[in-house]
Amino acid sequence: MILATLLLVTQVAAQDPRLERLDPDARSAVAAIVDSAHGIGLPVEPLIQRALEGATKGAPSARIVAAVRRLTVDLGTARTALGTNAVPAELEAAVAALRAGATPEVLAHLRDVRRPPLTMALSVLADLVASGVPADSAAAAVLALAPKARDADLVEFRRAVERDIALGAPPAAATSVRVNAGANAVFTQGSDPGNPAPPRPRRP
Amino acid sequence: MFERDDETTVERVIQHLRRPVAIDAGLDARVMQAIAKAPPQRRRVRPLWPLLAAAAVLAAVLIARPWTRSVPKADTLQFVLIAPQAASVALVGDFNDWDPARAPMQTAHGVWATMVRLEPGRYRYAFLVNGVEWRADPSAPAAKDDEFGTPSSVVTVGGRGS
Repeated sequence: MILATLLLVTQVAAQDPRLERLDPDARSAVAAIVDSAHGIGLPVEPLIQRALEGATKGAPSARIVAAVRRLTVDLGTARTALGTNAVPAELEAAVAALRAGATPEVLAHLRDVRRPPLTMALSVLADLVASGVPADSAAAAVLALAPKARDADLVEFRRAVERDIALGAPPAAATSVRVNAGANAVFTQGSDPGNPAPPRPRRP
Repeated sequence: MFERDDETTVERVIQHLRRPVAIDAGLDARVMQAIAKAPPQRRRVRPLWPLLAAAAVLAAVLIARPWTRSVPKADTLQFVLIAPQAASVALVGDFNDWDPARAPMQTAHGVWATMVRLEPGRYRYAFLVNGVEWRADPSAPAAKDDEFGTPSSVVTVGGRGS
């Protein structure tokens, strides 16, 4: 049993040389988690990236392993909420939304009202919470806009709320005002359909 | 001489044309009988519904454009950090394995910038200043779930009208 486990761990580590950047203790533990995640169909790239982030930031091995393990659990919760058809990018964004305070029911509701991919909608939800918007307000706003808004509309909505907050508006009030303002007022601000601006690299 | 011959010829033709034509008295009856015996011909009308159905399917495909949904769109983003005192700045994140050596940024008068092409997804990243100092992107949402004690930011590439 132990031999089999060791062989398995060695195999996974050999499959992804990037894990060589981890300490030996963290490497074997992370490799085992990655392998088990792969076995149940979860995306492994986010797990590897989280481990590499910890290694680059000089985090202790135990913290890296704990972060990877926690992410695995959250990816599983996200997949349960969104369904097995969810792509890795959606699952990662769903994890961010869950950690921001959205419930699995909110994720499932979003899946029902919006055409995939849900990555941007879930991300905007998480980012709104990170800006100070209460989780339930952020979830309600995204669910209200999700059926018809494009990804670019949701990003513009998030920026508008963030601007209002920076100007002193209470986060929840800023969110509800922007939702109630209506899609046209919020989303077409500053755009001129007859004279589109030339494409240029956008900022995050 | 020739004119006289011509006049004679024309006169003959006129007389010939003026002769009464003898028509068979039973002609009308035979024609009507033949018409009565002929099978009724139904005018064939080509049905329009196949054309309408094909037009509807074509319109639905053009409106839905399913091929555009299946192809995720990558996006090129510009990352900028103002750090006049910095000797070096690297952009590290989920898109480059958090490897500072892979994404050194270029500077012009203290404004550090680089461009990265990203596939749709949500990415965590941060700036590493002088190889030791971690900074979040002031122009991007913060990563709230930072577990390693240093600030990070997030960027999302949607791939659906973004």
